[in-house]
Amino acid sequence: MGYRTSTAHLDSILRELSKEYSIYAPKTFVGEGTYSDTDRVRYGTVESLGEINFEVKSEFSYKEILTPISETLFYFTEDEVKVADGPKKGAIVFVRSCDLHAVKRMDDIYLKNGFEDFYYKRIREKTKFILMGCSQSFNSCFCVDMGTNKSDHYDAYIKVDGDSALIDGEFEALITRLEEVEEVTVKPDFVTENKTRVNIPENLSLDIMDSTMWNEYNERCIACGRCNFVCPTCTCFTMQDVFYEGSDRKQAGERRRVWASCQVNGYTDMAGGHSFRGDKGQRMRFKVLHKVYDYKKRFGYNMCVGCGRCDDICPEYISFSACINKLSDGMKEIEG
Amino acid sequence: MKNEYIPFLSEIKEVIQHTAIEYTFRMAFEGDVKPGQFFEVSLPKYGEAPISVSGIGEGTIDLTIRKVGKVTGEIFEKYVGDKLFLRGPYGNGFELDNYRGHEVVVVAGGTGLSPVRGIIEHFAKHKEECKGLTLITGFKTPDDVLFKDDLKAWAEAAKITVTVDQAPEGYEGPTGLVTKYIPDLEIKDMENVQVVVVGPPIMMKFTVAEFLKRGIKEKNIWISQERKMCCGIGKCGHCKIGDTYICLEGPVFNYTQGKLLRD
Amino acid sequence: MDINTKKLKKNAFRVTKVRGITASRVRVPGGLINAEYLGKIQEIAEKYGNGQVHITIRQGFEILGIKFEDMDKVNEMLQPIIEGLGINQEVPGKGYTSAGTRNVSACIGNKVCPFANYNTTDFAKKIEKAIFPNDLHFKIALTGCQNDCIKARMQDFGIIGMTMPQYDATRCVSCGACVKGCKGRSVGCLSAKNYRVERQADKCVGCGVCINACPTGAWTRSQKKYYRLAIMGRTGKTNPRLAEDFIVWADEESIIKIILNTYKYVTEYIDRSAPGGKEHIGYIVDRTGFMEFKKWALEGVELPEEAVVKNNVYWSGIQYK
Repeated sequence: MGYRTSTAHLDSILRELSKEYSIYAPKTFVGEGTYSDTDRVRYGTVESLGEINFEVKSEFSYKEILTPISETLFYFTEDEVKVADGPKKGAIVFVRSCDLHAVKRMDDIYLKNGFEDFYYKRIREKTKFILMGCSQSFNSCFCVDMGTNKSDHYDAYIKVDGDSALIDGEFEALITRLEEVEEVTVKPDFVTENKTRVNIPENLSLDIMDSTMWNEYNERCIACGRCNFVCPTCTCFTMQDVFYEGSDRKQAGERRRVWASCQVNGYTDMAGGHSFRGDKGQRMRFKVLHKVYDYKKRFGYNMCVGCGRCDDICPEYISFSACINKLSDGMKEIEG
Repeated sequence: MKNEYIPFLSEIKEVIQHTAIEYTFRMAFEGDVKPGQFFEVSLPKYGEAPISVSGIGEGTIDLTIRKVGKVTGEIFEKYVGDKLFLRGPYGNGFELDNYRGHEVVVVAGGTGLSPVRGIIEHFAKHKEECKGLTLITGFKTPDDVLFKDDLKAWAEAAKITVTVDQAPEGYEGPTGLVTKYIPDLEIKDMENVQVVVVGPPIMMKFTVAEFLKRGIKEKNIWISQERKMCCGIGKCGHCKIGDTYICLEGPVFNYTQGKLLRD
Repeated sequence: MDINTKKLKKNAFRVTKVRGITASRVRVPGGLINAEYLGKIQEIAEKYGNGQVHITIRQGFEILGIKFEDMDKVNEMLQPIIEGLGINQEVPGKGYTSAGTRNVSACIGNKVCPFANYNTTDFAKKIEKAIFPNDLHFKIALTGCQNDCIKARMQDFGIIGMTMPQYDATRCVSCGACVKGCKGRSVGCLSAKNYRVERQADKCVGCGVCINACPTGAWTRSQKKYYRLAIMGRTGKTNPRLAEDFIVWADEESIIKIILNTYKYVTEYIDRSAPGGKEHIGYIVDRTGFMEFKKWALEGVELPEEAVVKNNVYWSGIQYK
């Protein structure tokens, strides 16, 4: 069951909804690409379908909406703390199937795994996800092998088809506003095959850390962390206490958390001077095994959703999917 | 909804100086806490660091802090009556039940003595609860020795070796690494002795190896891991080793699990 | 044989060592050429030349071994190349009608290079359109960034691409990549303070290294493009020297205007008794003083607010005279 309406009508509904929700979607930021005269497609607020880039995979994922890159937790003085305000509006987020699966990973880390995260929860509770289908796979995608190519747990599905839009789902604020609609059967576009395939060996174990397969990354990786920052499932952060200078309230400031990367220097540094995984190859191992091995041991399913963003972004052309496909030989090397 | 990131204020009840750069802050705290657990301790100006509990009193906890890095350095400017922001306690800590009724051997390196101090303190006061207590603790130099008063007090109830890596000429006490004192250590009950090893990663690795060489069972060895932690509550990711979060499942591990933790 | 060598040179041919033999110079503004014209150059070289083509330092092609009597036919064959490359021409079919103002050359620029801050070819072509043909001896080159792969600092006008880095603190994770990048690859004008990055604006050369280094897109390029205009660099027998900065954070239109103004200035002050009536601009500036040049150059120029115009410019180099 679903509906067809005009994009003009849907746009008017989105405008209505934007009073209550900030609407986020992949958007082209002209001239903001890394290199001169290039654009960057990342998440930004939109008010109409026309602003959404449905064609290109966003360079960064939706996750910056649920966990802002830099998020103030509270303000403090010498003896008081005040919790920072959260966003006033709820959020409507346009995501592809892989990213919708990634939300489950974020939920499991932030809402389970120890205490519930106050900051994540207050945004997450007010977030609705609109699925944007994938009419075709991008080159680096491997969602099919990761089992994330299809999803049915969306609040709504929207597909723009010329001047009309196809809608499905149960997002009340959206569905109840639909007028002049035609009832049609709407089946979301899902890809069923990818050019990129991955094989995670069944016998994979931590012993693979002793394989020589990681050595090449010691030289190749520049430890920039882009792979982590674009990843829709990476959740690590670091705390920062900022002390306001020049204010008469001498001990006033704020505590923030900012995204952290297990590939960037300093990730494991302790106050006493000890650190771990100095080799970039071992950092790669740490990341790869988290995504396709040890997260699964803990939560029962793999962390990686196969979106391929890390492959797309790496300035050194290190392919995560290619690395997964080296694990099998790595295990052979270890097991002899 | 509880906001676990919000710290509470705790008054500094007492400051005990151990060395030029190491102090114990006795902080006001009401609530359950175990040796080996830790608090996220902060000065708003700088930030948080995980500090393990080095003592548990009536309405107080001890935090022994070494002046390393900017976070802990700032705390030294604080005095009795001032307050610190704390979160915690976090982590599993040492379960005294695991050691009750057994011979107990504790090996600690440097500030590694802090998390185990509560264990020693307990069994030194309740000698009847264990079948012998041994402590081997190592420091860089005689000037770096922590808990000097305690070491003297414990001497009645426990067999204590305090060794230093480097000693000035004429120094009469034991010297060398802690591992040097393990091969000849007198252990009465090889089968059931409980061994606790805490210290820098390398020290723990070689110390545990010495005990295994002597035939101590893995299941009778306990270690405590120290890692960078920005949250203490399973979110920030920094302390993860494999599928284990040190802040949630640790920092104390039986060696049968601890040996699987490979960075 | 009776040949007017003055006219021959103006027509972009050369008097060579071998009597009666010339060479034809094909200009390629901005250094970018469709491969089809290479075929045409090959045809000329094989039909009227000795089959050899020299690639010039200014990004032209010099077709070697042409007989004087074939120059008209060569000009005819050059016509599609001249048209295809969009070269201004006074008389169609008669080849290049000036040679004094040299080909405007450019590094590969942002068509390809990750460091470049603009499309050097497009800007070079724009300048070529504005100034060519002209007999006055002007050398102009454009380079995408301060690495200056085209050696813009050896020209009368060297145009060096800049960008004004834009910092979005909300996207910054304090990874330090920009600070390290700036220090290691550029001038070190960035520093970390309170987990944020501070840019020392007067030290920043607008190279864009911070932007390339940033893993989160906290640093981006300015929508506006900026240029460093370095002037009066030269080689030669008397006083070879590198061009010095005249205007930093300049814009495209102003630069074109300044170059056009300089033609007027040169026309006014050139030493007409100089050998061949030819004089490098730099020597004229040496004679009139920089301040006089500056007055002419900036006539009617409206620079952006951010532009920094040097009060005076001093050159060094090697003095042989």
